[in-house]
Amino acid sequence: MEYAIFFVFAAIAVVFALLVVLHRNPVVGALSLVASFFALAVMYVLLEAPFLAALQIIVYAGAIMVLFLFVIMLLNLQHMAEPATRPVQQFLSYTSSAAFAIGLIYYLLKYAVFEALPSGFFAADARTVGIRMFEAYVFPFEMVSILLLAAIVGALTLSGRMTGSREKVPAPEQPGVEAR
Amino acid sequence: MAFDLTDILLSILKIAIILGIWLNVTPIMVWVERRGSALIQDRPGPNRVGPLGLLQSFADALKFIMKEDIIPAKAHKWLYTLAPTFGLLPAITTIAVVPWGRSFTIPEMHLFGRTLFEGGRWFNPIVADVSAGILVIFALASLGVYGITIAGWASANKYAMFGAIRASAQMISYELSLTLAAVSVLLVAGSLRLTEVVAQQTNYYFVLFDFIKLPAWNVLSPAMWLSFIVFTVSAFAETNRLPFDFAEAEAELVAGYHTEYSSMKFALFFMAEYMAMATMSALITTLYLGGWDIPWYNEPATFLGFLLSFAAFLVKMGFLLFVFVWVRWTIPRLKYDILMRLGWKVFLPMAFINIVIVAAFIAARWI
Repeated sequence: MEYAIFFVFAAIAVVFALLVVLHRNPVVGALSLVASFFALAVMYVLLEAPFLAALQIIVYAGAIMVLFLFVIMLLNLQHMAEPATRPVQQFLSYTSSAAFAIGLIYYLLKYAVFEALPSGFFAADARTVGIRMFEAYVFPFEMVSILLLAAIVGALTLSGRMTGSREKVPAPEQPGVEAR
Repeated sequence: MAFDLTDILLSILKIAIILGIWLNVTPIMVWVERRGSALIQDRPGPNRVGPLGLLQSFADALKFIMKEDIIPAKAHKWLYTLAPTFGLLPAITTIAVVPWGRSFTIPEMHLFGRTLFEGGRWFNPIVADVSAGILVIFALASLGVYGITIAGWASANKYAMFGAIRASAQMISYELSLTLAAVSVLLVAGSLRLTEVVAQQTNYYFVLFDFIKLPAWNVLSPAMWLSFIVFTVSAFAETNRLPFDFAEAEAELVAGYHTEYSSMKFALFFMAEYMAMATMSALITTLYLGGWDIPWYNEPATFLGFLLSFAAFLVKMGFLLFVFVWVRWTIPRLKYDILMRLGWKVFLPMAFINIVIVAAFIAARWI
């Protein structure tokens, strides 16, 4: 039963991950990534870690991909598919990614250990994750929050909404309206 | 995980019960909405089809099915067809982790001398009692924004696109306040499981002379009032209901993200809206109004106790659903910038302040 669920959702994850790369329309690509994340969350549930599964969907599918999709949609209002690339580009991209894939498979076959994890290995409920995060890993946690704060301040500065740069944007000239 | 055929059958039964209720929420709520708005606006409302117009919803459904299903020429056909499903999916699935009654032991059942059902089995009226509990709801609810965004984009219509952009910005903003408001409740319950959130609320705050008792419902605790307000208002924003229905704002955007939709595809959006309302009502009931708890009554762990608690849950949920309708026809639509300012500068700080208040209450052992 669990094997059946695993293979079905593994197949879904792989198919949609391929669709992300291969589909010409970026919006379809972004949505495929969401579907792939969702299939990945099912893997966490199978590993008896529903907390991680929920976090996976909240953070990646619910927050990050919504913003990605948002930007792609605003830039791509005409439902444009990407134009076909030149043969040289295609050759280069296919060979390089094939080389990377072969290297990855070789490395996995040589070094990876395929062994069943002890049951309850991923038993990461909210309590354990919270205690770990605020005791053992409190320094990296705070560092990440400072990094995010810096990113927020940076984004605000770049968008010109800080108090320092509040000069008025000149109104665009309208045809037929005399300047006063 | 060990389970046998009976467990699977019981799970299917639970899913059938809750899904049956959730699918019927839409026709009933459409009737309540139309009659309720008529009541508020002092006019008769639909009263021709069936007694009190009760069969109006069936007539509407029939009309939906008979209408032509139009796909605009410039629409993205696949995503245009997929979008209503995306919108409906979270509304249907999130209810799985909400408990809707007191758990009880199933008695032994006999039919013609044969044991039909061996007793002693614990029936927990919740589809999936996962440890991540409420996080599953927030995870699936956060996917609801895709339905609206894709619908707006795939329609290739500028009004639909405006509606989609507004809706996604609004839903992302209010999701934060919604989640943070719920944190206060989880702090008191000490668990993410909604069954334990309800179990904690079946107690009493203080007992005076053995008969003056205050139920430990979160809404009755002064530490929770901010959180309750933030959660309820954010629930209105999350379900895109008036006064926050900027996704469709018919005065400005024709019909918003579903401008181009017709026939059953439109009906699916309609169903998604009402089911999301029902889910939010169930969630507010569970988090703040004591879930299935009947105050001043100790439900026995029998089938009767289950039925009574289930009825209490439905009554509370029904009242909140009526509040949704009531507010829609009473309060006018806000301005969009006010909505965003309210979300980020009022409700988000309020939710944070409430977490601190609740933490202080817990530290002082008042809760």
